[in-house]
Amino acid sequence: MKENIVIIGGGIAGMETAAQLLDLGYKPIIIEKSDHLGGHVADWNRLFPDMSPAADVVRSLASRVSGANIFLNTEISFINKLKDSYNIMLSNGISIVTRIIVMATGFALFDASKKEEYGYGVYDQVMTNKDLEHWFNTGEDPRINDSAMNAVGFVHCVGSRDEKARNTQCSKVCCITAVKQAIELKQKFPDAMIYCFYMDLRMFGKKYEDFYIGAQRDYGIRFIRGRVSEVSENIDGRVIVKAEDTLSGKPVKATLDLLVLMSGMVCSQDSTKVANMARLPIDTDGFLKSRDNVMDIIESPKEGVFYAGACTGPKTVPETLAEARAAALKVHLFIKGLE
Amino acid sequence: MRERFLTGYNDFVLPFVCGMLFVIVYCMVGLIRIIMQLPAADRKRFFISLVTPKTAIRNIKDIFLKCLIHVDLWKRNKLLGYMHSSIAFGWFMLILVGHIEVLLYTSDLGPKALYYPIFFRYFVAETETTMKGALIFFLMDFFLLVVLSGIALAIIKRVRSRLFGMRRTTNPSFLDLIGLYSLWSIFPLRLLAESFTADISGGSFLTKSLNYVFTEFLSNHANMLPAWWAYSCALGVFFFVLPFTRYMHIPTEILLIPLRNAGIRIVNARKGFARAQVYSCPSCGLCIDACPMGVLKGNIKDTTVYLNRQIRRKNESRIEEISDKCLLCGKCTAVCPVGVEGDKLRIAQRSVRHYNFGPDYSNIDISDQINGCNKFVKNTNSFVSSTGNERVLYFAGCMTALTPAISKATCSILDKAGTDYEIMDKDGGICCGRPMLMAGRLIQAAQLVEKNTGIILGSGADTLLLSCPICYRIFKEKYTLPGIRIVHHSEYFDELISSGRLRVTKGDVRYVFHDPCELGRGCGIYEQPRNVLSAAGEVVEAEKNRKESICCGGSLGSLTLGFDKRKAMTENALNNLTAASPDRIATACPLCMSTFARYSDRPVEDIAMILDTVTERPAARSAGVRPVKGKTDN
Amino acid sequence: MDFGFKLSPSSAINLDNVNPDKFEELHRAEPDVYKCMACGSCTSTCPAGRYSGMSIRKVILALQRGKEKEAVAMMKNCMLCGKCSMVCPRGINTRHLILSICRIYEEERK
Repeated sequence: MKENIVIIGGGIAGMETAAQLLDLGYKPIIIEKSDHLGGHVADWNRLFPDMSPAADVVRSLASRVSGANIFLNTEISFINKLKDSYNIMLSNGISIVTRIIVMATGFALFDASKKEEYGYGVYDQVMTNKDLEHWFNTGEDPRINDSAMNAVGFVHCVGSRDEKARNTQCSKVCCITAVKQAIELKQKFPDAMIYCFYMDLRMFGKKYEDFYIGAQRDYGIRFIRGRVSEVSENIDGRVIVKAEDTLSGKPVKATLDLLVLMSGMVCSQDSTKVANMARLPIDTDGFLKSRDNVMDIIESPKEGVFYAGACTGPKTVPETLAEARAAALKVHLFIKGLE
Repeated sequence: MRERFLTGYNDFVLPFVCGMLFVIVYCMVGLIRIIMQLPAADRKRFFISLVTPKTAIRNIKDIFLKCLIHVDLWKRNKLLGYMHSSIAFGWFMLILVGHIEVLLYTSDLGPKALYYPIFFRYFVAETETTMKGALIFFLMDFFLLVVLSGIALAIIKRVRSRLFGMRRTTNPSFLDLIGLYSLWSIFPLRLLAESFTADISGGSFLTKSLNYVFTEFLSNHANMLPAWWAYSCALGVFFFVLPFTRYMHIPTEILLIPLRNAGIRIVNARKGFARAQVYSCPSCGLCIDACPMGVLKGNIKDTTVYLNRQIRRKNESRIEEISDKCLLCGKCTAVCPVGVEGDKLRIAQRSVRHYNFGPDYSNIDISDQINGCNKFVKNTNSFVSSTGNERVLYFAGCMTALTPAISKATCSILDKAGTDYEIMDKDGGICCGRPMLMAGRLIQAAQLVEKNTGIILGSGADTLLLSCPICYRIFKEKYTLPGIRIVHHSEYFDELISSGRLRVTKGDVRYVFHDPCELGRGCGIYEQPRNVLSAAGEVVEAEKNRKESICCGGSLGSLTLGFDKRKAMTENALNNLTAASPDRIATACPLCMSTFARYSDRPVEDIAMILDTVTERPAARSAGVRPVKGKTDN
Repeated sequence: MDFGFKLSPSSAINLDNVNPDKFEELHRAEPDVYKCMACGSCTSTCPAGRYSGMSIRKVILALQRGKEKEAVAMMKNCMLCGKCSMVCPRGINTRHLILSICRIYEEERK
């Protein structure tokens, strides 16, 4: 097998693609900009709907890709299009000539400080979904004080479905993530009152609705249909959120010990940068453009360039893994076609 | 001197004389109408200003500098300035010297006074051999040359406006073109006509030489009369179309300047002062390049020059469209060489719009609000008032409620400086009224002003501190708050730094300051925020700054521009700001800040946030503890 | 006169009886009006809400459901400050929408 296969991105999409290709007898190359594999999932604690530990997912994938060529702390300096292949120059000085690229560049979490009115980075008691997962993992965060957790609010759609945040799309997974995190927080602080401020709850996946029912019935999470528009700070450092309870048609106000912002998924800048180098088009939602959004979601318009995972739009973990497997199969068939 | 014709008359003067009389009558009627349309108090004020020596001298000075010399255009672009002043001043001098000449050499004028100064050369032969004669001949030729050079530049400008510092110019209307071509042809025709008579009536370096060089053609006196006819016709056509073209600005501006110097403001949307402004528009198109909406081609016809044109044409639907779209950034007003106030003119147009119903705030009870911020009243006998320290009431404003970083930083700075303060709109306030005013709903705006005035006067404060320039402007312009100083945070912070109440450590960050429209052009505050910034780091300037600063695109001024239509304007303004590649963008307006932050590639901060990060918290005072007692306490 | 019960009009909305003409006129003036997804951002940020229950979200809904009187009453304290435009996630130009409503709809004559 002398054909090089370059997988850009060492998150779960890149790892699963590599694992499948290894099983098929290829030796793919994974290029990862950070110092570890696993991407966003490595930062997470547990995964819905069965609360399986994210670390297990990353660990098992990592063991399966140990046979691949993995470049950590490596970025792509530039990509040259040759006649029927690409020359990829890496930041570590290595250049690779390949006919096959798998874009597994994933997404970026929306920078919550851009929603200035929510005061992330301004108020002490405001954090994001990622910060909360970090606390689940490490137990360390100055914002969470075990003795004073009486009321917590979750704000859905931060940087999603929002023209002002320059992302009009739904990020798909935040609804269920908020429900999951609300339950987890309630498990840690059974006496705390937990509110979810949502616009629409999109419980589309397997067993999500059960999760939602559980949150309502078993955990007493309060769901308030209204988008938070303003957050202010009390003298004691607690935050006051203002929203409209659109179901009763009345403005609501709540004083909270912690406010968790559900940052949405946007196309990462690095992803766009690499796409520009490879002359890949960007779709109107800001993510990479597929050849066809129904039939060929994992194929780019360029010959030999494939997509896996959230670089083409927000996806759950199982969806990403399924796409990664499909991408591996596409790569295999593509190589067969070349011979 | 000898008169060449006993009658002193020829039919060719008729087109000129008719045109001239027509224009004079038209202008006199217009003048009287505008003055009669002024509110009685304004009219009185205007007449008084005319006879007050100070304003009278100012009027003459302004008319000379603006109408003839066009100093504002010189400042903008030398070539543009020369073009305008050569035509205006040159023509004026031709008329002036022409009249002097007539007075010197003829007596017993009678009705001939109407046209003699214009066609003197045809009727009177004069000698240039005397000193006096030669000087006058020279002056006439010299100023004719000056005007001709201006006309030549004007022709070049039609083709290459960029040479004159203008990217785009106005699209002339049909009558404007007739006026333009007749104006262009007046002076070459005059040169031609006078060249014919140069060997008879005398001439100087221009006409005489021309007559000498083209002696074959110009000495043939059969061609003489048609040339004088053509010259007179060009003048006649120009004068006849003048009232219906942009050239109406020439007489109107002479009225506008004294009106403005008398302190008159726009009251009626179409009459009086507004009308004088509309007719003073020379259609030069400087506002087209200035307009921040101009980045989108579709908006070019919505600039002030076109508003004036549509108002003259009474095209109501276009007037409404143009006035509602505008961001009211005031840049067209700032660059306008004649002083048409594009923003105020538009607010006036908005104010005449008919609404079936409108808000009414009479049910709003402000006692809750007063109770929320009256600690200065409650504490009259406490140490607070005895320290002699100022009592600051901080009104963050609606927009700042959405950018809490600014209000938090402001409070932190006030704490560090040991200022005694109270927040007026902790739990949401009443809008300052400026957005309502911008929408042209003046009565409602006045009601909001009244409500807030009640709260502020009830607070016992002596200083009103504002974060938002939109509020600041209306507080400065429309509020009457006796004994209360109104300051924008940039002014206040500047004072705190210069009086040494804040300990600031200068960093090495390069900042560029964006002048918010309402703060800079609106209230004339340009230096204070820069002083604050230069205490925090290095300040670089945007390509266009201060008076010429470009609106962020987020302005509340526009009623019809939707969110999606503003992106291009914001990006254009950002490109202007980042010309000197600053590390960070600083501004002093919550609305500018959040608008820029949306599209900027580098951090955008309010000066309050910047100042807070570089200011030390004094060791002696901790948060919550009020300043040590002052010297009056003994 | 007390009949022992009250005669009150049904609170149900009968869409068959709603005249859509005025709302269509409003829609022409501000096409984005249909973009509202009823998130409530505008209501919660509105400084007039505490005085008159102003909610441009509810106004839009009420006008579509033929409840013009309710809508007009809510709008009495609007200050046109523009906070609703700032927070609207769908980018609706609420200020223009409000002015258009004031032009198109009429207050009940007393």
